[in-house]
Amino acid sequence: MSERPSALLLQLLAATAALVGPAQAAAQSDSAGGTAISYRHGDYDEDRLKPAPLDGSDRRYRVRTEHFQLSTALGDSDQLNVGLVHEAMSGSSPWFSFPDNDGDALQVMSGATIRDTRREVSVAWSRDRGEGSRIGASASYSAEDDYHASALGFDWTRPLSAAVDLGLGASFSHDIIDPTDAAEFDRIDRAIKNSTSLFSSLTFVLDRSTQLQAGVQLTHASGYLSDPYKRYYAGDRILSDARPDQRTQTAFLLRWRRAFIEQDGALHLDYRLAGDSWGVRSHTVEASWYQSLPHDFRIVPGLRWYSQGAASFYAPFSAAGTVGRFHSSDYRLAANGSVSASFDVRQRIGAWEWVVGIERLRAHDAIGFGGESDPGRVSYTQLQAGFDYHF
Amino acid sequence: MRPDRCLLLLLAALALGACATTPVQPWERGRLARWDMRFDPDPLKSALKEHTRFSKEGSSGRAGAAGGGCGCN
Repeated sequence: MSERPSALLLQLLAATAALVGPAQAAAQSDSAGGTAISYRHGDYDEDRLKPAPLDGSDRRYRVRTEHFQLSTALGDSDQLNVGLVHEAMSGSSPWFSFPDNDGDALQVMSGATIRDTRREVSVAWSRDRGEGSRIGASASYSAEDDYHASALGFDWTRPLSAAVDLGLGASFSHDIIDPTDAAEFDRIDRAIKNSTSLFSSLTFVLDRSTQLQAGVQLTHASGYLSDPYKRYYAGDRILSDARPDQRTQTAFLLRWRRAFIEQDGALHLDYRLAGDSWGVRSHTVEASWYQSLPHDFRIVPGLRWYSQGAASFYAPFSAAGTVGRFHSSDYRLAANGSVSASFDVRQRIGAWEWVVGIERLRAHDAIGFGGESDPGRVSYTQLQAGFDYHF
Repeated sequence: MRPDRCLLLLLAALALGACATTPVQPWERGRLARWDMRFDPDPLKSALKEHTRFSKEGSSGRAGAAGGGCGCN
């Protein structure tokens, strides 16, 4: 849970990442001044664990998501978005790793008894101040049985020249962790985590068909950043997950877009370099091709490559039983990597637009770097379907 | 040289390079106004995917993630 900044916090920076310059403002003109409702259903399904776990269920996580959004104009220059999310989660989760006779890690899973739901409401407002300048603010609240997150965000964009826009954003999240079965499994009763994030970007119009956005995000989290549901094997002891109570993350982002008029398509290339004070480093490369077809069909094939190095205190276990102040066998802090492929189809019919998509992600230890890998790595398939309706 | 320093140099070069480009006039921006030229053409799809990645990967930081939550599993 707390080993990363709040996703809610990151959501609040979404508006900042999409900081609209002159080109983007023009691109969004088709929905400005009206009202639209959107719905998406998502189905996330993790592969069964291979090799089979030493104990527990191999039936891993499944999440079903319902996402509604209402977007409407308020007067000539204001826009309001209201979002509602409901998620139903079930399945088993990696608990800790245990060494076999050869010293290789065997995974111990929880039972497939996890049942939880998450509800989220979010409100975002923005105002077009003219001449390419825009301000925005947002607030959101997310609740699970064991986790509550509240967040506020602000963003601002303005042109620096005819070809360059500056974007700035800030966000704050306050999270409360209230683990289930705390007494039975020697977990904390209640803890707090606070996260603050700053984001800045420059958007360049390079020519009539090309634009580039370069950004940097700095996030600092403090408080309880361990995962109360993870355990750590150390000799004859099973310890609680223990991580530093401070974490500073930095991410550099590059997003390049080029239109190909003859092909009636556009190429998207994204790169992210991320690092943090725990020693985790990662590289992410994404490529997507947006192709328009007759009868208002659009298809979007995409590829994504992710490579991560391990946190400095990560180890699958300590066979000798020696542990430092911080220790974790969370597979998400191990050296790992993945390759994923996605394909989306959408079609506009009058005021309606339907969309379906699939993404398949396959984990590969060999893609990771710097540190040990973990048997709990996850591969998954994610489906989504929904519609937009413009009044 | 460390990768992050390389990227900083790249960003600086991009900023300088952009200053040298010929400004594209408003009436020349029709291609940039296309739906498929947005930095995030489908925010709801991005929200779903980024929320998943936030829960399953050790790094985050690409704005566009969606939804708060534990992400414990």
